[in-house]
Amino acid sequence: MYDKDTSMLERILSMFQTVQDEEHGSVLLVFVIGMVFGSIIQYTKVHKFEKIAGFAMLKDTVVPKMLFLAIGLASIGLFFMIQLGWASYHVKPILLGGLIIGGIIFGASMAIFGKCPGTGPISVAEGRIDIMVGAIGGIFGGLVFTLFYEQFKTIMGTNLGNLTLSGYFPDHQGITALIFGLVLVAISFAIPLLEEVDEDDIGYQK
Amino acid sequence: MINKIPWWLGGILMALLLLFTFSVFGANRPIGASTYVPYFAGIIFDLDPQKYTYLKEIHKPGSWEGVMLLGVLFGTFINALFITKTFRFTVLPAAWKKYKNNSVVSRLIWSFIGGFFLIIGARLAGGCTSGHFLSGMTQTAFSSMIFGAVVMVTLVITGKLFYKETKDV
Repeated sequence: MYDKDTSMLERILSMFQTVQDEEHGSVLLVFVIGMVFGSIIQYTKVHKFEKIAGFAMLKDTVVPKMLFLAIGLASIGLFFMIQLGWASYHVKPILLGGLIIGGIIFGASMAIFGKCPGTGPISVAEGRIDIMVGAIGGIFGGLVFTLFYEQFKTIMGTNLGNLTLSGYFPDHQGITALIFGLVLVAISFAIPLLEEVDEDDIGYQK
Repeated sequence: MINKIPWWLGGILMALLLLFTFSVFGANRPIGASTYVPYFAGIIFDLDPQKYTYLKEIHKPGSWEGVMLLGVLFGTFINALFITKTFRFTVLPAAWKKYKNNSVVSRLIWSFIGGFFLIIGARLAGGCTSGHFLSGMTQTAFSSMIFGAVVMVTLVITGKLFYKETKDV
């Protein structure tokens, strides 16, 4: 028992050490990025079941509006930052089986659970017991994926490359990124604003 | 005290946070939020990273996201207690009662199943709402656009099939 506890503690300490040894920001900076990320979601309430399951039922559109706006603005900014040498691409590979089967499983689970992996922890921090139970389910999901990784890999398929839309137009990358970003911003504003009321709103409107 | 911000302000702030995290002045990497789950599963179930290929592969991103997750939990817990005042123990979301049922058992079982498959799906696809939608589509990545389209369609179909239009009175 004692041995198991020390090894778990050691592994948690090694998590901080790994981040500190990497070139991806200090432990404090990464922690603060998490605080800001969580707070933006918490203040816009896009982690609420009413917002995410509400989007699945097409009764609440705050999630897609905010997502498309954030992606649209960031894609324009990121392109110019990469040009200036302030950032680089970190593109995920195209593994069709994984993306399509994973996307179907993910989308269905998101509609039923009313959370995604980034928004769930905020509801846990707010005391939502159903989401704590879901988080335990998630841990078991992570365990099963780790244990049967070789089998899952066969579904994921072969890597078709880390392709991007702007890479498709090598001579017009700037204008491609700009149009892509502006289209997403336009979509974000074009989606009609629908809001499903949740219990916290009642307190807020008082 | 401010306890809510409009979606457009949230979108602008999220874009700025993404850009800062991507930049060499920040973390020089994208934001992701699903790799930490198998990473923590490995710690909780005491799996040896030398024995499991997947744990070896996710050691670095899992650590990064693990620290970020602790920041998320800490920051939003403090907010919930003192600023938004949204901390309380509840089981049934308001919309679950309205569009599904009043059963605690039903909600907890579906939550467990939902949480379980959410992570299986995210890890199969190699990312989630943060890694694919936010960070991936920001780079105009085709992988993220495929994932985004499949998720949005499946989300809406499931929403239509799983929930009732309104609660029968």
